[in-house]
Amino acid sequence: MKKKRNRNSAQGVWIFGDYRNYFQDRVTLQLISKGRDLAQTLETEVAVLVLGEGIHQYAMEYVAHGADVIIAVNDSRLKEYQVETYTTVVAEIVESYQPEILLGGATSFGRELFPRLAKRLNTGLSADCVALEIDPDSGLLIQTTPAFGGEMLADVVTPNHRPQMATVHPGIFKERPHDSSILGRILYPEIDIRPDERIQLVRSRPHRTGKTNLEGADIVVAGGRGMGPKEEFDMLYELAELLGGEVGATRPAIRAGWADEERLLGQTGKTVKPKLLLSLGTSGALQYTAGIQGAETIIAVNRDPNAPIFKMADLALEGDARSIIAALLEELRKRL
Amino acid sequence: MNIAVCIKQVPDVPSIRIDKQRMTIIREGVESIINPLDCVALEAAVDLRDKEGGFVTVLSMGPPQSEEALREALAAGADQAILLTDPNFAGADTLATSHVLARAISKLEPFPDLVLCGSQTIDSDTGHVAPQIAQELDLPQVCGVNEVHVEKDFFVVKRVSDRFLDTIRISMPAVLAVSSELCVPRHIPFGHLEKAFSDCNIIRWGMNDLELNPEEVGLKGSATWVARLHTPPPKRKGEILSGSPQILAGHLVKKLEAMGIIDEEEKKP
Repeated sequence: MKKKRNRNSAQGVWIFGDYRNYFQDRVTLQLISKGRDLAQTLETEVAVLVLGEGIHQYAMEYVAHGADVIIAVNDSRLKEYQVETYTTVVAEIVESYQPEILLGGATSFGRELFPRLAKRLNTGLSADCVALEIDPDSGLLIQTTPAFGGEMLADVVTPNHRPQMATVHPGIFKERPHDSSILGRILYPEIDIRPDERIQLVRSRPHRTGKTNLEGADIVVAGGRGMGPKEEFDMLYELAELLGGEVGATRPAIRAGWADEERLLGQTGKTVKPKLLLSLGTSGALQYTAGIQGAETIIAVNRDPNAPIFKMADLALEGDARSIIAALLEELRKRL
Repeated sequence: MNIAVCIKQVPDVPSIRIDKQRMTIIREGVESIINPLDCVALEAAVDLRDKEGGFVTVLSMGPPQSEEALREALAAGADQAILLTDPNFAGADTLATSHVLARAISKLEPFPDLVLCGSQTIDSDTGHVAPQIAQELDLPQVCGVNEVHVEKDFFVVKRVSDRFLDTIRISMPAVLAVSSELCVPRHIPFGHLEKAFSDCNIIRWGMNDLELNPEEVGLKGSATWVARLHTPPPKRKGEILSGSPQILAGHLVKKLEAMGIIDEEEKKP
């Protein structure tokens, strides 16, 4: 590819424009906003890299949300998100422009593309970051990433390799409001695209989960060991229906046969980001809490005031989850 | 079909301890298990071998103690186990880890048709190693695989990625990182474990066997450094209320009303 070295973007903060679920998943917009703060500290610009076909609508959105520069590769051969081909294209552009920082959302695709890309660029990568700051002394990007199921946080730096790369957990940073009066520049690097033929997308269709829509639910009612036996646990289905939510369960509840495997929350199950999560009769084992950390509000009910779940709850009720839910249902039924 | 499976021995997460000076995990004295998703990868490998023939090689980079995980893998049906261990490997990030694993895989004869990994580990949860092995070996990759069909010289796999259900055709050799939905790991009979711990041979490869130098492995070969470990600040208010079930249910109702989830009760005249 031809080198178009732009003085301003040469040391920029770059964001990978991940637009596949634009309306549901705003992580790219959140990163543009955070990227602006980082770029200001480093006295540089924010650029968004957009690959695909018919990408101008996204390019315009990214500018309206704060991107200074768009680096666009509009090509039908990039129509499908494909890790191998995207790695080659992004790597060549990065090698040519040499950004200081390259960030992407920790979406399924981001978490598959970024490791391969980091390896190709022979640089460091931290996963699923929950905070990003510039160290005032070294100027390095401090990438804060959860370790050991969120028990610890690690501040990671990439001292000697560039770009400094990180994937970032969705929902951590706030996007800036859309402002269509903002102007941005758009660059079209010339690049030779060679699709990787070893991998072919046969079919891709929107995934509809069978019975549950846990991941998309605004309200999740989650039951654990303290919600048993099954007859008691079944109250949660009525509660979920009355509140317009979905039922989730911890591993012990599923082992006991109170709920189906597809309702499993946590490290080996589903990750949910509801507005409200009711955590009922769950002690708060890390395997479980890893899947509910993204909830906006957590209300926990447990008999044990020392249960770890209370440490992450906005409202903690000490008592028997079964009787409290029974009383709540009685009240809600009255209001029907 | 010959399959390489990469596994990691991980601390049982709730009982971890950290060496605050060196900022690494203290593995001694903490119960260790095979990373749960790696068990899924291993089960899938053994299952494919039983159907298609060939053999399963299981590899793990780690301290000498990781041998236990490899013996357990042999008991679960792997044919051969290789421990990649060397004092120089310590402190590796995913870039350096994938380098050692990729080098070891490239030394296998014959070169495997399939490299299987778990999609993430429970201790560091990066999910980086499988794609990085694939990149280093210049192989195609699919992560989060929940279904695998073997065809003549390719696989047809399924996975869920960002709200899409993808069906992908991927040529051999390939790297697949598996999700928990692929299969359920078998229960290992005690007799098999006993045999694996008494009779089976574990191959050991160090830095020199892999023709690597100290600059490209372990802490020195890592691009990322952990500058600081800390515990997250409590994010929530953590207000604990107690009382009768009716009183507590009343608090719940008020909260649900305040959040606009249920309508406020009409005031009685």
